[in-house]
Amino acid sequence: MRPVLALLLLAAARPGAAATTLIVELRDAKGAPVTNAVVYAVPRGKRPPPPSRRAVLDQRNRMFVPHVLPIQTGTAVTFPNNDNVRHQVYSFSSAKKFQLPLYAGTPAEPVVFDKPGVVTIGCSIHDQMSAYLVVVDTPYFALTAGGRAELPGLPEGAYDVRVWYAGMRHEPAPQPITLANEPRSLTFQIGKK
Amino acid sequence: MRRRSFQARLLSLMVFALVLFEVATLIAVHVAGRRDLRQTLADELRVGGRVLNRILGVRGRQLTDAARVSAADFAFREAIASADRSTITSALANLGARVDGHAVFLISLEGSVEADTLGGHLVGRPFPVPSLVTGAGSQGGTTIVTLDHRPLQFVVVPVLAPQPIAWVGIGFTIDEAVLEDISRLTGLELSLWAANPAAPPVLLSTLPPEKQLALRERIRDKAAMPETLELGSDTYQTLLQPIETGDGSAVHVLLQRSLEEAQGPLRRLELQIFALSSVALLLAIVAAIFFARGVTSPLSRLAEAAQRIGRGDYSTPVGVTQDDEMGQLAAAFNRMGTEIGAREEQIRHQGSHDSLTGLPNRRLFLEHLALWIASAKRRETRVGMVMMDLDRFKEINDTLGHSLGDDLLVEIGKRLRQTIRESDTVARLGGDEFAVMFETAAAASAVELAQRIGRALETPFTLGGISIDVKASMGIALYPLHAEDAGTLMRRADIAMYQAKRDHGAYALYESGRDDHSLRRLAIISELRQAVATNALELHFQPKIDIATERAVHAEALVRWRHPVHGMLPPDEFIPLAEQSGDIGIITKWVLRRAIEDCAAWNRAGFDLAVAVNLSALDLYDAGLPALIGALLHDQGLHPSKLILEITESAIMKDAAHALKTLLDVEARGITLAIDDFGTGYSSLAHLKRLPVDELKIDKSFVVNLSGETMDDGVIVRSTIDLGHNMGLKVVAEGLETSEAYAILKGFGCDMAQGYFISVPVPSPQLLAWMDESQWGARPSGSWQRSEHEP
Repeated sequence: MRPVLALLLLAAARPGAAATTLIVELRDAKGAPVTNAVVYAVPRGKRPPPPSRRAVLDQRNRMFVPHVLPIQTGTAVTFPNNDNVRHQVYSFSSAKKFQLPLYAGTPAEPVVFDKPGVVTIGCSIHDQMSAYLVVVDTPYFALTAGGRAELPGLPEGAYDVRVWYAGMRHEPAPQPITLANEPRSLTFQIGKK
Repeated sequence: MRRRSFQARLLSLMVFALVLFEVATLIAVHVAGRRDLRQTLADELRVGGRVLNRILGVRGRQLTDAARVSAADFAFREAIASADRSTITSALANLGARVDGHAVFLISLEGSVEADTLGGHLVGRPFPVPSLVTGAGSQGGTTIVTLDHRPLQFVVVPVLAPQPIAWVGIGFTIDEAVLEDISRLTGLELSLWAANPAAPPVLLSTLPPEKQLALRERIRDKAAMPETLELGSDTYQTLLQPIETGDGSAVHVLLQRSLEEAQGPLRRLELQIFALSSVALLLAIVAAIFFARGVTSPLSRLAEAAQRIGRGDYSTPVGVTQDDEMGQLAAAFNRMGTEIGAREEQIRHQGSHDSLTGLPNRRLFLEHLALWIASAKRRETRVGMVMMDLDRFKEINDTLGHSLGDDLLVEIGKRLRQTIRESDTVARLGGDEFAVMFETAAAASAVELAQRIGRALETPFTLGGISIDVKASMGIALYPLHAEDAGTLMRRADIAMYQAKRDHGAYALYESGRDDHSLRRLAIISELRQAVATNALELHFQPKIDIATERAVHAEALVRWRHPVHGMLPPDEFIPLAEQSGDIGIITKWVLRRAIEDCAAWNRAGFDLAVAVNLSALDLYDAGLPALIGALLHDQGLHPSKLILEITESAIMKDAAHALKTLLDVEARGITLAIDDFGTGYSSLAHLKRLPVDELKIDKSFVVNLSGETMDDGVIVRSTIDLGHNMGLKVVAEGLETSEAYAILKGFGCDMAQGYFISVPVPSPQLLAWMDESQWGARPSGSWQRSEHEP
């Protein structure tokens, strides 16, 4: 089950900037692009800055929107209910166990996710509703779209590039990368047997 | 008897045919039914197997659904998510209780057991049925597994939070209620068990307990389950079917159907067929009885009718009025009866009536007379009868012809009928004899009737233009005065009639006390005349042998009368009567004619024999006799020397003078004369000497006793022979019966002998046969020519 990791470093000249952009291509074992996966870069040796903004996990048409929501550890998330039925949002995940008793509208208090990990969100009224809050210890993360994620504003330094996707059974090995003042690209291939 | 047997045969035939048909039907139904039943049962069992699978499948899905719903319970999921082992275990137990599960497991997404309600000894190990976990989707999955040697229906459902975080596995006992359901649905008995090589399996079964025990024994024996299984008193058709399991364990279900029970409808069908058959048989028997009666009842009536006809009852018709062949037969029977009756009446009439006059005949007259006498005996009255005979009727017949004679008899019958009363009976007894029977008070009235008849016959009859006078003789006899019975009465009337003839009177009343002997003589004489006329007399011949040559030379003709009532009569019985009545002449002439004819025939045939004929004393008075003899000899071409006339000594001595004249005439014609029965009379030797006699015949009374011991007769015979020889006569010994007597006679020098020792008297053809065969016989060698020349 070990993912085969092929690393392709592409130098993209971006002169004069203090920060750079990392572009990650995510492919599955067959080489197809993987969508809705979370790609995040964890800086080595220094603490990232604390979260600066709130996140929202909307509920529309008896669905959580978005389905996958990456957040930085310590982010407060609000769960506004935009349906005309009530929802009871919960999570039994070890990263964050909580429950928002049956409600309509937006609950007054947001939920603060203070531990990294994946928090699976459900509605105990509507079994089909589910969402993943991917809580990471970095502000540098992005969702893949068409197999591609772009992490902008990365300061120079060393990072571990990690990946999470729904249904992941073993996390692929983190990809270390040292970023200079130029954009970089790398390709993750996540393997299945 | 016949009727029963016909009916019985018809019945048994029908019953046999029906029973055969019914048995065949039953057998066909039985065999086909059993075969079909087997097939049907096999199908039922297969269907039962499919139903079982289906129901287990449905149950599995239901259980899965129940498990899924229960596992979706928020609190349960919360408990599972709590990661607290004891909380999780109690939540599992609670879930198990809710869905009535036997065992509940929590299985990680990786497939290892996280917790269970069985004491946790599987925790940390891989779940034993991984395929179930891997195969189960979000909806869960189910299969059958064996746990603790028990088959369980196992269900695995995900625990969603809301993504699967674990699996819950629940094992459900397959209990007897499940099997009962299937049993109710399919009508089969089901037994289910997980194979256990170590011990008798735990059996789930719808069978009654004792049969379960028996079945367990069978399973333990590991014998292959036969298609037909006997458990206790029942026989089952079975189907052993494996059940698909998730863990590869062997679970079997045995489907059974009681043959006894399955045959029930078939049995009922067979019973119905049997009942229907029985009813049909019964109906057939009834129909057969009716039909047979329809045939046999007319038949038996016809049989009765035939018996009636046999008894002579022709008037009762057969009571069969059917419009079929039986009816035709009955009608034919009736016609036949009538026609037989008519013919019988005709025959009876012919048998009892005289065809010429139409009057009753002798037989019917006698019958009626007997009836009348019987009736008179009861009523103590009297019956009289008149027997009548026409005088000179033979003359009338001879001169006027038989046709006219018959006409006369008819007319006489008519007159008689007119003369008597209606109640009286007149009959024609035969010939010119009539008889009248009447009820009478006294003899006088009977006489009066006879007189009336006499007067009625006085008027001459005119027939064919000829006037005929008729005179009749009538005899009267009365019951009970003269006889007690019809036969005697008739005979006595007959005797009275002869009396009347004798007296030349018109009638005579029977005189009581007249002795029967004379009556018989009278009757015999009248019959004798008839016998001569109808050739009822026969001639027998007894040969005489010449002792010197030991050859037959003469044969004595002896007359016999074959009497219709008394049988063969010897001459002694009727010759004296004929002599008395003066009828001997006609007998002598008849004998002479026949003897001469026969002797001529012998001589023509070559036998040199003379014939001897006895003459009566009365014949010697007939002066015409010698001429008649001469004529007869001439007619037959017989030499006179071939005829010997024998005259008794007494006949000659009675009127010697008259006899001599005739004898001389005879002798002159060359005929030999012999003295018969010599020694019994008192012959005068002087007379004897004058007679033209050639032979002496010693009376048989002397010869019969001739032997060496009785010398008296020997002396007489010897002296008689000597006397004859001395007179120049030949001597003949009559009555020779023994060879001893023959030797003595030979010694005495007797010339000829005659008697039983030589031959009994025999008819002419036997005499010739005797001549051919006997030692005394003279074979006709060379005698032909001589006899031809001699006349």
